[in-house]
This record gives sequence, C-alpha cells and structure tokens, in this order.
Amino acid sequence: MLTKKTMTLNLTDAEMQVLEDLCAKKDLSKTAVLRQALRLYQLVDVRLEKGDKLVVENDTTKEKAELMMLS
Amino acid sequence: MSFLSTVFLKRGDSGEKVVAELCDAIEPVDIIDWATHWLPARDQCLNILQAANAPPEAYPQSAHWNWMDKTRSMQGLLALQGLSIRCEGRTQGLMRIDLASEQCQLESQRSQPMVYVDYIEIAPWNWIGPYFNPPRFRWAGQILLRAAVEISLDQAFKGRIGLHSLPQASSFYRRCGLTDCGPDPNYPRNLPYFEATPEQAMAFLNQGGSK
Repeated sequence: MLTKKTMTLNLTDAEMQVLEDLCAKKDLSKTAVLRQALRLYQLVDVRLEKGDKLVVENDTTKEKAELMMLS
Repeated sequence: MSFLSTVFLKRGDSGEKVVAELCDAIEPVDIIDWATHWLPARDQCLNILQAANAPPEAYPQSAHWNWMDKTRSMQGLLALQGLSIRCEGRTQGLMRIDLASEQCQLESQRSQPMVYVDYIEIAPWNWIGPYFNPPRFRWAGQILLRAAVEISLDQAFKGRIGLHSLPQASSFYRRCGLTDCGPDPNYPRNLPYFEATPEQAMAFLNQGGSK
C-alpha cells in the first residue's frame, strides 16, 4: 500500500467555496477533488513544457480557444 | 514501490485454476516479457492467420500496440497508471488507465469522474479464435477490468469506468455488463464507447468466474 502524508491547507473563503462546490458537483471528498486537480495540473504542465498548447473546444459550436497558463 | 495481490487465472485446456499475481504497475520485467515473448508469439499468430488466408477481421486489432512506448509516455504522471498480471513467470496481460483526463458521458452520470481504460491487452498465447490453439490462460482481461473498477472505488469514483473498445472486443465489454453507447464520433475511427455506472460496476464485480 502507498503511504500517505497529511498536510494543512489554508484557503480563503472563496477558494473553500469553490472546493466545496466542486465536491458537491463531482460527488467527491475534498481530498479526492484536490488529487484530481493535482493530476490534471501535472498533466497539463508536462504537455505545455513539451511545447503543446492547451485548447478548449465548444462541442456544439466547435469554437476553439487557447488557454494561457501562467506559471 | 508496486503492490502485488493474488488472483486466479483459468488454464485454457484443463480449466484448472492457477495462482497469478496482479501488480499495480507495469514494471521493466513486463516490458522485457512483451519484447521477448509477446512479440514473437504475436508474429507466430499473424503467420498462422496469413497461411490460413484468414479474413481481415480475424486479425487481432491490438497487434500493433507498442507497450514500451505506452509505458514510457506515462512515466511520473499521476493521472496515468499501468497494471500487469503475471502467471508462471510470464506477463499475461497489461492495462493502462487514466484517472483524470476523462469524464463520464452517460446522461445519468455526465461529467462525473471515472477511471478511463486507455489500453488493455492480453498476451498473444491467451488470444481466442478459430485459428489459434486453446488459450493458455483465460480471465486475464476480466481481472484487469475488475482492477479498474476496484481502483475507481478506491478513488471514490464509485466504480465508474469508461473505455473505447476495439470492435473485436465489444462483445467482451457487453458481457461484462457495461453500457454500449455506440460509435463515438469524436474518437479516432469512431470506436464504440462503453461506460459502467456504479450499479453495473458492482454487478460486474459480483459476477462469477475470475473472482
């Protein structure tokens, strides 16, 4: 089994509200939401470092927009 | 460090149950097995098909997969995980899953998190088909798919899994109880998309056979 470590996370009210909203929307605990966020952030960061671009596409209109990631 | 659990495969000829190991990683030993044992066995199967003038649909659709590349591309990424199943000193099946990039598509669970099965393949000597000998072992695919459901439960995704199936494998996923959502127009070659709800995932875990 993987050993797990504990940390204290300090969030503003607004940040905590977003986290709680995501928990409700995705039916996940706060830990699970943050794990997902970390996985996705790493995935995107690795692709951007390779020179890829992050583009979002509207499924209906097929309109594309490039997202700028600020490090 | 990888974690091993004991599972059982079924011998293709005698039906005897054999102890196997499910590993929560694809390790160098698996890639060595793939390169030194799977590839020659795959070529042998392809030669048999060619000699028998088998129709194109008889050729395994995963035969071109390169597990060395698939494993290399997931190194260090939290979102991607490999699993392998080993028995009698050989890797019998491999799977790569994605824990973060895909969301559920079924209306009842749209946008919920799930485990997406990127790739799943069994060793060529376990292939089933009219042109091949009886498979050496059965159940490797089921065990790997069950592992995907178990990981989904462990991640609090409630057992939800999804995947795009090669057309040859669609009947397998239907037997496992996943919903066949039909061809996906947004996926290369419009491969059929399958998804399991928490209820379907639990029913699959409770099925007999490789359990």
